[in-house]
Amino acid sequence: MQKRNGGRWFRLVMAMLPLLGLLIFSDAAFAAAEPPPVEVDWWIWVVALFVFSFFLGIVAVVAGVGGGVLYVPIVSSLFPFHLDFVRGAGLMVALAGALSAGSPLLKKGLANLKLALSMALIGSVSSIFGALAGLALPSHVIQLTLGLTIVFIAIIMLRAKKSEFPEVAAPDRLSQILHIQGIYYEDSLKKDIDWKIHRTPVGLLLFVVIGFMAGMFGLGAGWANVPVFNLVLGAPLKVSVATSVFVLSINDTAAAWVYLHKGAVLPLIAVPSIAGMMLGTKIGARLLTRVKTKSVRVIVITLLLLAGFRAILKGFGI
Amino acid sequence: MNDNHAHPNNAQLVYAFVLHWVSTLGIFIVVAGFAVYVFELLPQSVAIDAVAKSWHLSAAELNQRYPLPTGWTWVSDILNGDILSFASIVYLSAATILCLLAVAWVFLKEKNGIYTVIALLQVLVLVFAASGIIGSGH
Repeated sequence: MQKRNGGRWFRLVMAMLPLLGLLIFSDAAFAAAEPPPVEVDWWIWVVALFVFSFFLGIVAVVAGVGGGVLYVPIVSSLFPFHLDFVRGAGLMVALAGALSAGSPLLKKGLANLKLALSMALIGSVSSIFGALAGLALPSHVIQLTLGLTIVFIAIIMLRAKKSEFPEVAAPDRLSQILHIQGIYYEDSLKKDIDWKIHRTPVGLLLFVVIGFMAGMFGLGAGWANVPVFNLVLGAPLKVSVATSVFVLSINDTAAAWVYLHKGAVLPLIAVPSIAGMMLGTKIGARLLTRVKTKSVRVIVITLLLLAGFRAILKGFGI
Repeated sequence: MNDNHAHPNNAQLVYAFVLHWVSTLGIFIVVAGFAVYVFELLPQSVAIDAVAKSWHLSAAELNQRYPLPTGWTWVSDILNGDILSFASIVYLSAATILCLLAVAWVFLKEKNGIYTVIALLQVLVLVFAASGIIGSGH
């Protein structure tokens, strides 16, 4: 019975995705930067945003991506909100998700506080500057760079390798000074996994760049945090994913304050998005074992590419 | 240091505990604040219709048109529904600062100098961002 329900949900999500693709390229979507017609009541947009964020939450979990990275390009294409408010809401969506997921990940010992704090300190400073830059630059420049970034993220998702348990021959000096190491229980192997990291200075530099981009585009940054933790620093994949969520909660907080102070967070847009996305991720987590995650991932990458190219076209005024 | 066993250390557990309660309360406050706003249970500083007719404008343009909350100027108007809803989002953004303060205290008690400094520096960065010294106004 449960399996049949899962199938029904999956079909519903799948049915919605081509619609999204169509809408991304529709005339209405292209007119998003223009003053919208006023005949649609505000509450219809708010309810539509809630429902849309709900489905986005399901798809995000099933595809294994953060909600923020899907939210900003797709909502800015489909809804009549200015990109400033979509990015502000995107940051709040990513922040709320990270806050609610953070506690269990820390309790299980998957997220590592010391690894996160060391990287987040530098990343949060750059995310403030990223947010300031994002709100200061003209919209078409942000559209263009957002589009390029989204296409880049889609390519990373397509090509990036993952390493369950990377080899770290010896920890570097800085990680030893910072005591960044740990042990977690790997359920699939029924044993403790001892891990340490290397190339810490390189990781710190990369987090400067990641923080800046996260703040600038309001994307969240799991797509970049995880490969850096996993492939550059050599943390196990599960530790990388969990610690990434935790770093997000700190870096997005820093950038969110800039958006709040600039008046770029509208409750009418941010709250339905947060609520819809959080409900959706809970449902998505239940569906995770019942749907073909690989097919959903391909669809999400395709959607990201479409949304990315759309943003690039918008950036060029096409 | 008690990193070398499979259970999370004390600082991590304290952070998790504070985060759980702060974020659970946060979600409740955000939803409640929004309900007060959209069901117009309190007066509004800017009508919902007015915001909705202008949300295609940039943040700078919209804020020139209407007195929407920026910086900390909104605090005195908190008994307006729209400001209350905005304040609930501000609370959510402050959640991490509360967790970091708690964990800085744990590190201090454990005499872990490096991480006391890192946690306090992180608090300073976030408080600096929250202060609006940079970023507020247009």
